[in-house]
Amino acid sequence: MDISLSSGEKSFFQKIDWSFVVLILCLHGLGLINLYSATHGPLDKNVADLFINQLVWLGIGWSVFFILTLFDYNFVSRLAYFVYSINLAALVYVTFYGKVALGAQRWIDLGSFHYQPSETMKLAMVVVLAKLLSRYNTHSRGLGFKELLFPLILLLAPFALVVEQPDLGTAMMITAIAVSMIIFCKVRKSIIVGSLLAVSIALPIAWKYGLHDYQRNRVLTFISPNNDPRGTGYNSIQSRIAVGSGQFFGKGYRNGTQSQLEFLPERHTDFIFSVLSEEWGFIGSLLTIGLFCALFYTMVRVASGARDKYGALLCVGVLCYIFWHMFVNIGMVIGLLPIVGVPLPLVSYGGSSMLTTMTGLGLISSVAYRRYIF
Amino acid sequence: MSLNEYVNNPDEAKEYWDRYRLFYLLLTLTAFIFVSRLWYLQIFSGSELRDFSDKNRLKEVKILAPRGLILDRDGQILVQNLLGFEAVVLPQYIENMEDLSSRIGTVLGVPTERVSQRITRSKRVNGPFSPVKIKEGLSRDEVVRLKKLRLDLPGLEIRETILRNYPLIENGAQLFGYVGEISKKQLPLLNKTYHGKLVLSQGDVIGKSGLEETLELNIRGQDGVSLVQVDAHGRETMTSTSPSIYSESLKNQEPTSGSHAVLTIDKDIQESAWKTTLQHQRIGGIIAMKTNGEVLAWTSSPSFDPNELSTSISAQTWSKLINDPFKPLRNKVIQDHASPGSTFKPLIAVAALQEKVITEHTIVAAPGVFYFGRRPYHDSIKGGHGNINVLTALEESSNVFFYKMGIALGVDKMYDYISSMGVGARTRIELDREVPGLMPNSKWKKDNIGEEWQPGENLSTAIGQGFVTSTLIQLAVAYNSIATEGQVVKPFVIRKIIDLDGKVLKEFNPTILRNLQEKQPNGVQISEKTFKLVKEGMRRVANGTKGTARFWKIPGVEYAGKTGTAQVMSFSADQIYSSCTSRPIQQRHHGWFIGYAPAENPEITVAVLAEHSCHGNTGAVPLFRDVVQAYYKKYHPEILESGSKMAKVKAQSPEKPISTEGE
Repeated sequence: MDISLSSGEKSFFQKIDWSFVVLILCLHGLGLINLYSATHGPLDKNVADLFINQLVWLGIGWSVFFILTLFDYNFVSRLAYFVYSINLAALVYVTFYGKVALGAQRWIDLGSFHYQPSETMKLAMVVVLAKLLSRYNTHSRGLGFKELLFPLILLLAPFALVVEQPDLGTAMMITAIAVSMIIFCKVRKSIIVGSLLAVSIALPIAWKYGLHDYQRNRVLTFISPNNDPRGTGYNSIQSRIAVGSGQFFGKGYRNGTQSQLEFLPERHTDFIFSVLSEEWGFIGSLLTIGLFCALFYTMVRVASGARDKYGALLCVGVLCYIFWHMFVNIGMVIGLLPIVGVPLPLVSYGGSSMLTTMTGLGLISSVAYRRYIF
Repeated sequence: MSLNEYVNNPDEAKEYWDRYRLFYLLLTLTAFIFVSRLWYLQIFSGSELRDFSDKNRLKEVKILAPRGLILDRDGQILVQNLLGFEAVVLPQYIENMEDLSSRIGTVLGVPTERVSQRITRSKRVNGPFSPVKIKEGLSRDEVVRLKKLRLDLPGLEIRETILRNYPLIENGAQLFGYVGEISKKQLPLLNKTYHGKLVLSQGDVIGKSGLEETLELNIRGQDGVSLVQVDAHGRETMTSTSPSIYSESLKNQEPTSGSHAVLTIDKDIQESAWKTTLQHQRIGGIIAMKTNGEVLAWTSSPSFDPNELSTSISAQTWSKLINDPFKPLRNKVIQDHASPGSTFKPLIAVAALQEKVITEHTIVAAPGVFYFGRRPYHDSIKGGHGNINVLTALEESSNVFFYKMGIALGVDKMYDYISSMGVGARTRIELDREVPGLMPNSKWKKDNIGEEWQPGENLSTAIGQGFVTSTLIQLAVAYNSIATEGQVVKPFVIRKIIDLDGKVLKEFNPTILRNLQEKQPNGVQISEKTFKLVKEGMRRVANGTKGTARFWKIPGVEYAGKTGTAQVMSFSADQIYSSCTSRPIQQRHHGWFIGYAPAENPEITVAVLAEHSCHGNTGAVPLFRDVVQAYYKKYHPEILESGSKMAKVKAQSPEKPISTEGE
């Protein structure tokens, strides 16, 4: 384990990837500015605390980030199965004994903090798959059925539990992250074709028997939102009005009528991007997407400079984690995807999301810290 | 790890290199889709959607729910609601700030700058969508004139409000409390307290003190909401041009009025208590309760007008209230604690008789001065009382007699008895901010002051001086336990909560906390005989030839009680005998009178604290008499009538009241 600050010839300050840190800071700043606006409207009741809470989470997040930077990520590799098992156990617990919120059991109540194991499972998945997949040689034809069996089991266990809660959005998210990582490691063509076939047969069956009514409704209203404007479609319509009415320059800070007058639901969490788009317009939206792209670019750069396969796969996994969140969240806000309860990483309010995201980024920073030197 | 290990297998990770292009492709594609969609929404259909968001603002208008009424035991109104109007400005719709402020200011008689300042400040703090209240409680004339202005001044609104009204005005203001807008600081705290029962939001009116505060959850109504579509200028629109995606599916939520509270208070007795307080210009408090603990009257003076406090009170009036040296906002019945003085003597007499320090026959020498450890302890009368028994000691209020009781009992025995009777601990009446007072014992002194209890302190404790402090309500409870020969009750003011149709939702019944004739955990057990003796002594206070309260008789009614004086400051021996009334008012003693009526089988207990009135007798007894008289006038008028006939026949030669310096 390497935790001394002055190992090698370069110091801590020279080895840390500062462009990475600055980009994260920019996104945090953006998030805080918008969170303030979203929680200080004239009709807001008790949400002023949320802003302070978020600051606390930021502080904790950054501490975790720097601590992980100093730790060798190979240490995490040794703990991978342990982390995964603990997480799975928590998930089992929460599925059967957890707090019920919005019709689903997702939380363990830890005093003032609600711990959501499905959130940390995403990261545990990344860690365990990176360890497993980095063992395989993928130069040749790609992974075959035999090599994929174990990763598949690792994916299916949490998937089934999260679906049972039921939290379809998170289940899909875990799958998306895992599948992306596997595909990155190259899979045999026959297997790809086979799975596509299997999914296209299984989907209609799952639609009919596997989904809850509200889940089916969400997908339906996404296809035709005007059917039920006060129900599920309402969020989608209001969000689209908010984004569009921002026009080029936006309505001005804290002047967004859609957000300030509470047309937007969940504006500090899942719909934070529509607050931003309404008040800062096309310019602000472009800036945000630009910052995310820059962040992803940096992550790819770190991955390609990693000193070993495990480090590279770790980066790829975290990248997928953040990318899919951003993709689904913004896609949903601007009306391209159905409404799924997924936060925008680094920007939305929420302790669980902030902590897991910063842990993931801390791992990448750790890989960057020990990058291969040409 | 050394740097060499980093360079050891540079090729391993190269395996993935060709695949990173996949990410660049994915990223570019995503960015392209998102930006196109944003361009489509914000630029291409931007003005259309902007229009949409402007035209179709739904305004949530709160329909205020009235708070429940507060009624007396007979259903007479103590606190009610009146309709009122207020002027409100919505900053988001203002077109010309200067014009608006000056024209509103002229009508309301508020300086122009004050109006504009208030709006700008609220805009900065709360944002442009938060309504700004300019004036509450508008007169009819102001409403008419503002209504005319409204057409020219977008953003100005006249709203109907509900004003809380207190018809008794200053009387019982500290008991009933007042209402006010919730403050920003209070909001999160209260929402935590009421978690799961009530959600308050900014601008809500809540009970700020007294019963209004205690009863919040019961008498608070649930505000309704009506949703109105408004255009960009705040004017209501319900035209066919606006797409009706919300209007039809949204329903208004009707307000529900709060439940009513019925108190144990009797409005007639409450009014008499206040009338006599004003008549005698007294500072202090009165509490009258039935012997089962139902409070009939409760006053605290000086007082304030809750009607004024419940609307927007001026800073000037407020600072006058909080800087008043006699504390009008303080509920003196439960928040002022003072030395009980001689009102302590009956309680000590109970302890002394029960502990067999004396019997009813024991004669004790009670001279004017008593030396204990070379220090002189004075009586209130220079010559003393001679050789007396316990009944005379109570009637004439001898200090020396009780000094001797104090020495014989010791503080810990006194503590056991007196705390069992309710002194030195909160009575847990329904109101907040009750102070506990203090009944010391030797352990308390060791823990809090760090010194051993001194034998000399037994003397001062026995006559209710020294460390002992008590609130008026505690003394009422203690005397009530003597009156009922052992029942320590929990006093209460809230009788029941009823809904709008009069159906009883909650009912509160008298509670006897303990019966002192039974053995208590601390070993105290008081016999009926002891109570009867002390009651006889207290009867003589009002009826004996030398009784300290003998000048204020009620025809037909014999009452019993005990006077007391609480020193506000300590004085040297020679000053004790100097005239109290010649001192500045804040240095004058407090006068107490606690008693019950009738002396046999009592029905009510009344306690009077007359602050800075110098004496318990002239200061407090007349008020006690008036309250008891009011009770008889209402509940037993026949007794008063026959009593006054008897009095005429007797035609006693009137004795003139004199006041003795101490009791």
